[in-house]
Amino acid sequence: MKATHTLAAAALALGGTGAYAQDSSDPIIIPIHNWSSQIVMSHAVGQIYEDMGLNVEFVTTDSQAVYESVRLGDVTLELEVWEGAFGASYRAALAKGGMVDAGEHDAVTREDWWYPMWTKEACPGLPDWEALNDCAHLFTTAETGDKGRYLDGPVDWLKHGKERAEALGLNYVVINAGSAAALWAEIGAAEADKRPVLVFNWTPNFAEAVWPGEFVEFPAWEDGCDKDPAKGPNPDALYDCGNPATGYLRKVAHHEMTVKWPSAYCVLSNINFNNAQIAQMAKFVDTDEMEAEDAAAKWLGENEGVWQPWVTACTS
Amino acid sequence: MNDATPVIAAKNVWKLFGPQPEKYLAGMEPGRSFEDIRADGYIAGVKDVSISLTRGEMLVIMGLSGSGKSTLVRCFSRLHDITGGTVEVEGQNIMALTERELIDLRRSKMGMVFQSFGLLPHRTVLENVAFPLEMRGQDRHTRRERALEMIRLVGLDGREEYFPRELSGGQQQRVGIARSLAIEPDIWFLDEPFSALDPLIRREMQDEFLRLQGMLGKSIAFITHDFDEALRLADRIAIMRNGAVEQCDTPDKIVLNPATEYVFKFTEDIDKARVVRARGLMQPLNGASPEGAPVDGMATIQALARDLVNDPREVIPVAGQDGAVAGQMKRQAALDILLGTR
Amino acid sequence: MAVASTDYAVQKTVELSLRNRVLWAMLGTALLLMLCRALGILPEWLIRLPEWAIPPSDIWLDAAFSFVQNDLGLIHVTRFVAEGPLEFLLDATANLLYGKRRWPDLGPIPWTAIAAAAAVIGYYLGGWRMSLLAGGTFVWTALIGQWEIAMQTMSVLTVAAPIAFLTGLGLGILAWKYAWFDKAIKPVLSVLQTLPFFTYLLPAVIFFKVGPTAGAVATIVYAIPPMILMTTLGLKKVSTEVVEAGHMSGCTRWQMLTRVYIPTARTEILVGVNQVIMLCLAMVVLTAFIGMPGLGAKLLAMMGSFKLGRSFEIGVTIVLLAIMLDRLSKAWVVKQPEHFERGTPWWQRHIFLLFTIGAFAVFVALAQVIQVFSEIGRTQHFSRGKEIDGIIKAALDIDMVQATTEWLRWFLNVNVLIPFRNSMLWVPTPAFILLVVAFAYWLGGRRPALYATVFFTIVAFSGWWDRSVITLYTVISAVIMATLIGIPLGIFAARSEKWSRRILLACDTAQTFPSFIYLIPAIMLFGVNDVAVVFSILIFSMVPLTRYTIEGLRTVPPEMTEAADMSGASRRQKLLSVQLPLALPTMAVGFNQAIMFAFFMVIIAAFIGTQDLGQELQRTLAGTELGKNFVLGMNVSLMALTFDLTILSWAEKRKKALGLA
Repeated sequence: MKATHTLAAAALALGGTGAYAQDSSDPIIIPIHNWSSQIVMSHAVGQIYEDMGLNVEFVTTDSQAVYESVRLGDVTLELEVWEGAFGASYRAALAKGGMVDAGEHDAVTREDWWYPMWTKEACPGLPDWEALNDCAHLFTTAETGDKGRYLDGPVDWLKHGKERAEALGLNYVVINAGSAAALWAEIGAAEADKRPVLVFNWTPNFAEAVWPGEFVEFPAWEDGCDKDPAKGPNPDALYDCGNPATGYLRKVAHHEMTVKWPSAYCVLSNINFNNAQIAQMAKFVDTDEMEAEDAAAKWLGENEGVWQPWVTACTS
Repeated sequence: MNDATPVIAAKNVWKLFGPQPEKYLAGMEPGRSFEDIRADGYIAGVKDVSISLTRGEMLVIMGLSGSGKSTLVRCFSRLHDITGGTVEVEGQNIMALTERELIDLRRSKMGMVFQSFGLLPHRTVLENVAFPLEMRGQDRHTRRERALEMIRLVGLDGREEYFPRELSGGQQQRVGIARSLAIEPDIWFLDEPFSALDPLIRREMQDEFLRLQGMLGKSIAFITHDFDEALRLADRIAIMRNGAVEQCDTPDKIVLNPATEYVFKFTEDIDKARVVRARGLMQPLNGASPEGAPVDGMATIQALARDLVNDPREVIPVAGQDGAVAGQMKRQAALDILLGTR
Repeated sequence: MAVASTDYAVQKTVELSLRNRVLWAMLGTALLLMLCRALGILPEWLIRLPEWAIPPSDIWLDAAFSFVQNDLGLIHVTRFVAEGPLEFLLDATANLLYGKRRWPDLGPIPWTAIAAAAAVIGYYLGGWRMSLLAGGTFVWTALIGQWEIAMQTMSVLTVAAPIAFLTGLGLGILAWKYAWFDKAIKPVLSVLQTLPFFTYLLPAVIFFKVGPTAGAVATIVYAIPPMILMTTLGLKKVSTEVVEAGHMSGCTRWQMLTRVYIPTARTEILVGVNQVIMLCLAMVVLTAFIGMPGLGAKLLAMMGSFKLGRSFEIGVTIVLLAIMLDRLSKAWVVKQPEHFERGTPWWQRHIFLLFTIGAFAVFVALAQVIQVFSEIGRTQHFSRGKEIDGIIKAALDIDMVQATTEWLRWFLNVNVLIPFRNSMLWVPTPAFILLVVAFAYWLGGRRPALYATVFFTIVAFSGWWDRSVITLYTVISAVIMATLIGIPLGIFAARSEKWSRRILLACDTAQTFPSFIYLIPAIMLFGVNDVAVVFSILIFSMVPLTRYTIEGLRTVPPEMTEAADMSGASRRQKLLSVQLPLALPTMAVGFNQAIMFAFFMVIIAAFIGTQDLGQELQRTLAGTELGKNFVLGMNVSLMALTFDLTILSWAEKRKKALGLA
């Protein structure tokens, strides 16, 4: 065991001298969160770095607290900054200094009210939001009485479901789940007897593969919808639009990465995944039950053409 | 210091339990009773006791539970700090000793046996016996030799590697005894050593103890709540009640002349013939020379019963320890004791 | 004497009537306040404290923390510890157990070697069964494909548990030696034991850097209190005769401590070790919330992607590890030294040590040759995640189950929980406090009442009153339901030895499952609502109720039940008039634990979705609001302590009255 390790390390070290010698041999610390695509993507990038002869280490961290850690240098980078979910934490950390923006992925992110396909059979008017009120009776539960029930994300995700229901005059009670797991459990429980449910969801996400579904189409997002009542159909209310349908997904790094691991940083800024690629990586883990490391290796193996250019662009 | 110096001399010893015992004792008016003191919120564990232990003597301290007997003995070794009075061990005031000196005193001169044995559960018999030697820093080899010797002495050979819980009560107490003797103490404290044992074992251990004492000749303070035991073992008995000594005397004298009502109650049901020895009934010759062979002064009246009944003499000579006639006793007095009419 | 006893009786009556008057005064005032509220004539500031009256305690605390952290430079100290010795130790165990590339660069130790060594140690401590449990746990872990993550957890445990043990031992000795220290540390320990674990986590992250170091620190702090208590308890219990024997043997103070006190207190100290290990394991799993890798993190990830089967398998691994560590350490507690005859050769005396080393060495050697003995691949060899998924989903899908849960959900929500919650929220703050104080006074007496007053007033002024009330409402609802189920279950089980054992084993297992694993089935059964929250708490807090009911009933002195039998009591009469009254003080301890567990679980239930303190606490985890985190944690702790003090004070009095103390 020891022997193999040492050998592997030596081989890597040998391969590493040469092109990327200016990079530090200290480990690049990559954070791991609790959703599959991020984990696989982190491992994929980690394996690319290891191929380059760099040292990599993974730490599991909270997905909100990680920005503070990137800023302080406790972790080196972050590969999935979702506009909707982490935009606020990201902007706060960026403003405090110590963190640099390493560009966006092609992938777009969207988060909004969502339903699994079977719901549409009961309420054919969907995905138009105006069908919601007619179908409210489908979504009633014991505790909501004659109102429909919408399960929003955890309060701290700040999704403003309540405000939107009010602004658009929806006959719904908005309940906050406590965690992503709670959302899945709710959908999973409804799946058995194909009970209609309305929950918060986002893409890219493993759930798309498990439960095909659609987002409710709300009045399209206009800039300032969350600040200016005039925007959106209801002139007197905020949050009377859907969320942006094409939110960014970006990468960030600790500011010292640019000097300590210049080649690695260069690769990081080139890295660019799209929705399909992310979904595929998540699928390896979520439906094919692979371990994240293996999934990453498999993806890299099958998509050399995608990621090799990111690296070669930095050697010249 | 010579042989006449008592090994332990306690003078007006007080041990009070309560919030501020020293202050209370200093301000206490003399003559307050045990109850008075209790009403003031203090317990008089030892109340104005003066007693001494002479070299080679076996002093039995007898009393019911709560009478202060254990407390008194713990004042002798300074397991308890006394509140008032003085305790001198071989002429040294032990309250004046530093911690170091006290430890040295215990390491070289004192041994103690406890009612529930007080063995260290995690150590083998051998290690328990060697414990005091280990504490004073003797090397492994010496202390092992010495401990083995002690174990043989108390008849536990072959059990050296046992743990206390693997032994019977009697055997555990033998370990306790061996441990207390390991450092060859001059003064030996035994705190109800046989009370936790079955009656049969108790008897056996008493015999064993007498055998040891016969060999070793230590100065002993022995605590018991069992009057029979006290009578059987003691040179002198001190009977305690409510922290104070009611009477301190030889067994004969206590049985024949109980000083207080309380002491009398103990002696009431005792078969005195088994306790009182001929010397206890002995009177001075005053020039008379009673005829015939003398009886042994150390023999109990019971042991002499057959002779006494058949002896025609009114006055019988009694021999002292050297065999010479030391005094005389009236046959009738002896018969009275034998028949329990007195 | 006669006079004295009459005096006593009179005094007692006077006390009683005074007690009743005070009680009625409090209840009356509370009722009056509520009546006024109902009539709408209660001024607003008596219903809820006005905003301006609430001090910004979180901001003050933040300032204080920041002062300590930055101005006093504490962060440099803690960061030094975190990045210096602590990280060094963690890296070393990480290297040995799962091959993190750090000093001493020897690892990972082959899984077969660890399993074999564990099996031998298990045999030494408890025969074949224990051997099977110890070895089997590791084999299961490897075969199910969780070796690496399990070792990540263990690597922190092997650092945290000894540190917690030594610190606890040291502090315990100090507390035993110095009364003032004992007095000073007691309240701190009480608070620490009731503080929600989220409140351990955030400061740990801020002071000790995210990752294993912070996790280890939180774990250590969490596990220290019981070690302190057990150490003091054990040292106090050393019999005076043993102590005197030590003194008479001429021990110095140091010799007294190391050769007499500590070895003699072995049993209690080892019980402390057992508790340290168990708490460490529980906490290491929970530190997944602050990014500690290992079983907990994996479990969270699996739950986050709705993999019930895999989550369950990880849960089983955690339970196995917990049961193994628990049983082994308990076996060690009762294991008495065996004697060897004189002249036994050295190797025979240390036969088990040699065997352990031998087994270890053999497998290390084998692992050099046979790859699978060294590292079992990541592809989970025997994991049946998907199949279990199917079984769980199918079980939840059974019509009967669905119909029952649907009805329960409707009934409890509409008729019980929501009205109960609304009425609790409706009660004006002062009336609420009065009711709690009256309860504490009625049950526990003056001191608990005093504490209740102070504690709940602090809660009222913390600015989180409504959330605190909701937390309390959830706890009370869950505990009442747990009582309704748990006590009859305990009574039933106590009737026979066999069932007692079975139910107790079930209790053990239910308790060692990582608490958050219950959340998913709860949601799937009842949906995201209060019923699911109450249900998940209920499972957890039923355990001590059942356990202590069994224990209480089974430890009723046999002569009492025999006396009842001879008086011709029927089974029912015997239970109601003899056994239950005598078991009640013990059951009260269980009831108290149930409440403590509920306060613990209610925080975790925030993951289902609540509007209580737990939800806010969970939110603070993501940020740096140390002050708010602390205020919220203190609220939970203060409420829990109120009940703790009240019930324990009652149980104590009751035990004394029954002469059971």
